[in-house]
Amino acid sequence: MDLVTCSMSALIFFPLAAAALISLIPGDQKNVIRFTTLLATLVMFGVVLFGMALPTNETISFDIETAGMQNVVSLPWIPSFNIDYFLGFDGISFPLVVLTALISALAMGASWTIEKHVKGYCVLYLILLTGMMGVFVSLDFFLFYIFWEVMLLPMYFLIGVWGGPRKEYAAIKFFLYTLFGSVLMLVAILMIYFNSDLRQLSPQQLVDSNVRLAGVEHLGAVDEHLAAATKYHETISAAETPVHTFNLLALQQLGQHSEVFDKELLFGKSLQWWAFVLLFIGFAIKVPSVPFHTWLPDAHVEAPTPISMILAGVLLKMGGYGIIRICYPICPDAGYDLAWVVCSIGVISMIYGAFAALAQTDFKRMVAYSSVSHMGYVVLGLGVWSATVVGDPVAWNMGVKGAMFQMIGHGISSAGMFFMVGVIYDRVHHRNLNEFGGLFGKMPVYTSMAIIVFFAGLGLPGLCGFIGEAFVVLSVWKFSAGLAVAGAFVVILTAGYILWAVQRVYLGAEYKGPHAEALTEINIREMAIAVPLCVLAILFGVLPHTVFRYMDATIDQQVQDLATWTKETKIPRIQAEQTEKEATAAVAPGWEQQAAEAAAVRVDAVPAVAVVDGEI
Amino acid sequence: MLTPEDSLPFLLGLAVLLPLVSFFVIFLFGKWLEQLGAHIATGAIAAAAMCSLTAAAIWMAQHAPPATHHAHPAESHAVISQSSVHLTALHDGEHDHDHADGLVHGEHDEHADDAHFVPPVYTGHWYSLGRFYGSEVAINYYIDALTIVMFCVVTFIATCIHFYAGGYMHEELHEVTDHEVTLADGTHLKRPGRYHRFFQYLSLFCFSMLGLVIAGNIAMTFVFWELVGACSYFLIGFYVERQSASTAANKAFIVNRVGDFGMLIGLMAIWASLATFNFGDVDRNGDGKLDPHEHGLFSLLRPAGENGLHELRVPDGMVLQGAKERVEEMIVAAQPGTTTADLESQILAQVSLWRDGKAKGDATHYGYWLLVIAGVGIFCGCVGKSAQFPLHVWLPDAMEGPTPVSALVHSATMVAAGVFLVARFYPVFAPEVLLVIACAGCITLLIGGSIAIVATDIKRVLAYSTVSQLGYMMLALGVGGWAAGVMHLVTHAFFKSLLFMCSGSVIHAVHTNEMTEMGGLRKKMPYTAYTMLVGCLAIAGVGVPSALGIPFGFSGYYSKDLMLEQAYLFRSANPLWGSIFFYAATGGAAVTAFYMFRMWYLTFAGEPRDEHRYKHAHESPRVMYVPLVVLAVMAVAIAWPIFGNYGLTNVIEQGRPIGLWSDMASLDGGYVWLHESKSHADEIRTPVGLMAFGAAMTGIFLASAMYLWRVLDPTDARRTFAPVYKFLVHKWWFDEAYDVLFVRPAKVIAACCVWIDKQCIDRLLHGLAWSVRQIARCGEAWVDQGAIDGAINWFAAKTYSTGAALRGMQTGSLRQYVMFIVVGALAMFVLMSFWSYGFAR
Repeated sequence: MDLVTCSMSALIFFPLAAAALISLIPGDQKNVIRFTTLLATLVMFGVVLFGMALPTNETISFDIETAGMQNVVSLPWIPSFNIDYFLGFDGISFPLVVLTALISALAMGASWTIEKHVKGYCVLYLILLTGMMGVFVSLDFFLFYIFWEVMLLPMYFLIGVWGGPRKEYAAIKFFLYTLFGSVLMLVAILMIYFNSDLRQLSPQQLVDSNVRLAGVEHLGAVDEHLAAATKYHETISAAETPVHTFNLLALQQLGQHSEVFDKELLFGKSLQWWAFVLLFIGFAIKVPSVPFHTWLPDAHVEAPTPISMILAGVLLKMGGYGIIRICYPICPDAGYDLAWVVCSIGVISMIYGAFAALAQTDFKRMVAYSSVSHMGYVVLGLGVWSATVVGDPVAWNMGVKGAMFQMIGHGISSAGMFFMVGVIYDRVHHRNLNEFGGLFGKMPVYTSMAIIVFFAGLGLPGLCGFIGEAFVVLSVWKFSAGLAVAGAFVVILTAGYILWAVQRVYLGAEYKGPHAEALTEINIREMAIAVPLCVLAILFGVLPHTVFRYMDATIDQQVQDLATWTKETKIPRIQAEQTEKEATAAVAPGWEQQAAEAAAVRVDAVPAVAVVDGEI
Repeated sequence: MLTPEDSLPFLLGLAVLLPLVSFFVIFLFGKWLEQLGAHIATGAIAAAAMCSLTAAAIWMAQHAPPATHHAHPAESHAVISQSSVHLTALHDGEHDHDHADGLVHGEHDEHADDAHFVPPVYTGHWYSLGRFYGSEVAINYYIDALTIVMFCVVTFIATCIHFYAGGYMHEELHEVTDHEVTLADGTHLKRPGRYHRFFQYLSLFCFSMLGLVIAGNIAMTFVFWELVGACSYFLIGFYVERQSASTAANKAFIVNRVGDFGMLIGLMAIWASLATFNFGDVDRNGDGKLDPHEHGLFSLLRPAGENGLHELRVPDGMVLQGAKERVEEMIVAAQPGTTTADLESQILAQVSLWRDGKAKGDATHYGYWLLVIAGVGIFCGCVGKSAQFPLHVWLPDAMEGPTPVSALVHSATMVAAGVFLVARFYPVFAPEVLLVIACAGCITLLIGGSIAIVATDIKRVLAYSTVSQLGYMMLALGVGGWAAGVMHLVTHAFFKSLLFMCSGSVIHAVHTNEMTEMGGLRKKMPYTAYTMLVGCLAIAGVGVPSALGIPFGFSGYYSKDLMLEQAYLFRSANPLWGSIFFYAATGGAAVTAFYMFRMWYLTFAGEPRDEHRYKHAHESPRVMYVPLVVLAVMAVAIAWPIFGNYGLTNVIEQGRPIGLWSDMASLDGGYVWLHESKSHADEIRTPVGLMAFGAAMTGIFLASAMYLWRVLDPTDARRTFAPVYKFLVHKWWFDEAYDVLFVRPAKVIAACCVWIDKQCIDRLLHGLAWSVRQIARCGEAWVDQGAIDGAINWFAAKTYSTGAALRGMQTGSLRQYVMFIVVGALAMFVLMSFWSYGFAR
């Protein structure tokens, strides 16, 4: 195995191996287990950061200039269904991989307060990490789905066993909601799979999408790869039955350059329209978008602090990732037609989440609703399909980049906010916003860090929340002025609920709740988690380039591809439809004319009768 | 380093960053620094002031301001009577001054009389926030004369205030007992001092404010706009333990966010149509040429044009965005098979028709209203920040902050940022927007002035006065007085910060804000009293009107007269609105003079009304009154036209943006904005000067009559106008109205959202879950238990019962068994016989 295969597989299987190792440690060695888990997550983060994010190694480091997939691993897994062990990342998934590694290490640090079944917790925690990494790096739709489900189960137990008083309810709600989405997704996956056909792709497209050329040998050089792909193309073209594929990149090519997904399915809508809807619902549940969001507040309120951090920091991003990686590139036609729906859902989530947050008295619930609101920006940004004939799709590019940045920024700020809530919950064991106050005087260091994090959530310039929110909102007007105004309105509400909460918790003269004596200043371990989050919140806010540099090439490419598709495929389609409509309309006046003539005859005839009557 | 292109950005960038460094140092090490923190902050801002002044010197060495143009009556008559566009450069003629040396004169000849004058500007790029194909959102700079002036004003005043605050905040050096906070156990709050924290926020504020001033694009302006808002939030809420302070801080931030909401709309409109935020052109790739996407807003909106006058023209992008539906129609209606390039050129060919409303059967000026939306949107931000009606409500509450904050943030700099932005963004404003600005300013100046008359809290009087003065500036800008508005911004910054610091000195001495408990303090604190008197005279605009010979006065006199002259000029072209604006402004001048002197008399004149407080009063320490004296000198002299070509007016005039050298008219031609130079004509100066003088004197006289000579009794007046008084004391009921109109509905909607979540969505889900459980239960009861289990159980039971029935036969008797065998064998035999027989057949 070469280094790329090793490193990519390690992203997925290293946590699993660590989990296996931990299961061998006796359960009463709590600290050993904790440190081993922390070490595992830190090693993961170290590898991702130093091995891949920084240009230290030519083979596995992420190349910011490359728009396409990097570190591709493609091995046969279930050849009879063309299911591959197909991994890789690009500018869309790589930042999320880094975020996952970071948040999981920090959240493990926050897990020290967990005393119950530490061994079980750590094992499940590492399996969860496997699932999350797998989702972001797998490029085979089937593999993606497997990891999507793998991640679900540990989460269920982590909430259901280590949660608060209503943990069972929250866990089952989370599980069923997500499972419902997964089932819809599975239906869509099968629909897409059985309609895909590799024969429609040219050899170059086969090469571009890294299709595994079964039965054809090649040595890896570029021209040889193409030659092999040509050969493969000839082989499969000869076949009478379609060659199906789960390869996401190939499916993207098929969606944009062929008509295999355009056949009508139900109620006059095409297959890809239905696939888009099913996939989008699945992802919208994960994001979560209104009206599929009610699992989130319950899950967050009941989940222990580190799990809330993971949930808000990483899991929600999978929804956004799915939309940008799967929905739009594979089903562009449906994406174009449904852009308005997607954007409206985003805006509704933003407004609804903000209003709901305003009414909360539970600190964690308020933060949870703020997540609903903030993730609405992601959906909105991904949806602003404003490409047209004139000019570059600047606004759309900005929306997508803003949405991607918002995912990273929200990963930092929401994880930070949940952690900050956790810090005081650990001390006073309640979260009632009306029973706090005066923490500024008792815990000044903690308060100043909490205020940084909450202001990042508020979208203050110079902190990570601003860039994403501002870019998304600015990009919307080109698509729709009305939605843009509604989206911009949220800045007022966000300021309202965050400042109000800050005032009730941190400001004021004295603490109003129970266990006042327990309010001690933040300790070293907690500082070790809070400081990186604060520093990153500031760094990403001041130098957004640190994040954008990874995304730019890929997003530019993807938006450009879809814009080209709009110009070359969609607009002619619309024009053709219009011509057809006019053609029918051109026939219709003929009938109308006939009808009018007939009516005129009748009008002529009636007076004649009347005259006759008159004569009588 | 030697050329201004390099040295100006470096110096001003340094001035921006020094306070930031100070902020970080104090933020991280404040606890150990104690008083040193204040010294670091003060040193940083003083160094920034040095940088700014050096930059100003470099600027003036490089670009000598245009010479003032002494007007001959006949010439000015020609100016005002000419309906055609006639441009003169600055034309104040307020004194005889010697013409400057030859070089400057040359400049004057070269620029000042040139209608096509393009102001000197340095633009450049610092770093990028995000790139979107060719377009970009960046941190860059735009340095012109306005930037230089603002830098000097902000850093100078901030330095004074830092020194002053060093004395004012000394209580915070040790443990503080906050008498305004009573704890649950009835004692007052004791807390450690936060001396260094104050300077930390102050440094952050200075950084943000300077960043705002140097901003090279409107998005960067927005960034720093929000940051100054956040600093303001921290500073208003400096006494975090006080409920009133934290509420006021929240109010300030949220009300400002309402304005920012509008500003975002403006930004969106601009970005969607033009895909740039830059004010000026920035040559990003450094090839010495300007690519299409390197053009800034000003050159997009004000191309040189045929006559070179840089008149406002809706850019192509805005037309396309405005005519979005037409474009879509064209795309859809195009014949299939039209190439994208053809379609694009067809659309672009339509643009100029759409812009001028000449498209077939369609007289809409596409894009123009988008431009108006963009302008009004940006102005909304200014409304919030500069406390204009209807968002003025936060500023008076912001007085909860320590007084140096009020002096720096809430009078001199941050609240003036709105005015600054209007001035900066002036070339983008369509005339309709200017009318909106003028209206907002006019209403604000009346509201602020009227409430200031009845306020008894010394800081609130000043706060409402600030609101009112900001309204003046907006009004001046709105009626076309660019230089007048900016001029008042500068003079106001000096005298208002002076007034606030004096009030702080008084509060420091008597520990109350209520003027009813003061009186007679001039004997105890002469420096404060007389510097404040200077401030009052300056804000009232006292001076010798030009009709009486040599015009000469305090700084406010120059700027206020300029504004009134411009309003008068506007009136000459637009009688109705112009009259409203002009008389409101003139009346406002009287009101200003009245409440300022009322305040001074109540505080310093007469006999002490509270002996106890009077006894403990004392003059403030030297570190506090020296800045007062310095600012008083500036408040007197800053606008004096004695500096040749280097006077304030000249430098400001040099910053006048392109395209403002000609008259403007609204789209329908109903309103006309005459060029500002025409307002300096003697026909305008003379009557306006007299009226302004009269107004100020009326105000002062009335105040003296009521509060000094006591010939009129204020309580009588209060009783006579009881309803009006009540209306004013309750601040026009704005807070109450906003509570009913916005705050409560928002809370109701929020509660509705929660209700929907709990009672609709979750109910639905629980219902679904319940019905699934019921179905499962039914399935279990009927199918599993009834059908399948039933069948199996039935079968088992039958088997059992059959077995049980057959058990009777197991008797154990051999005979019986033998008989069964025989019978059985026979039966089988018979059966088999039949069987085989049957088959055999």
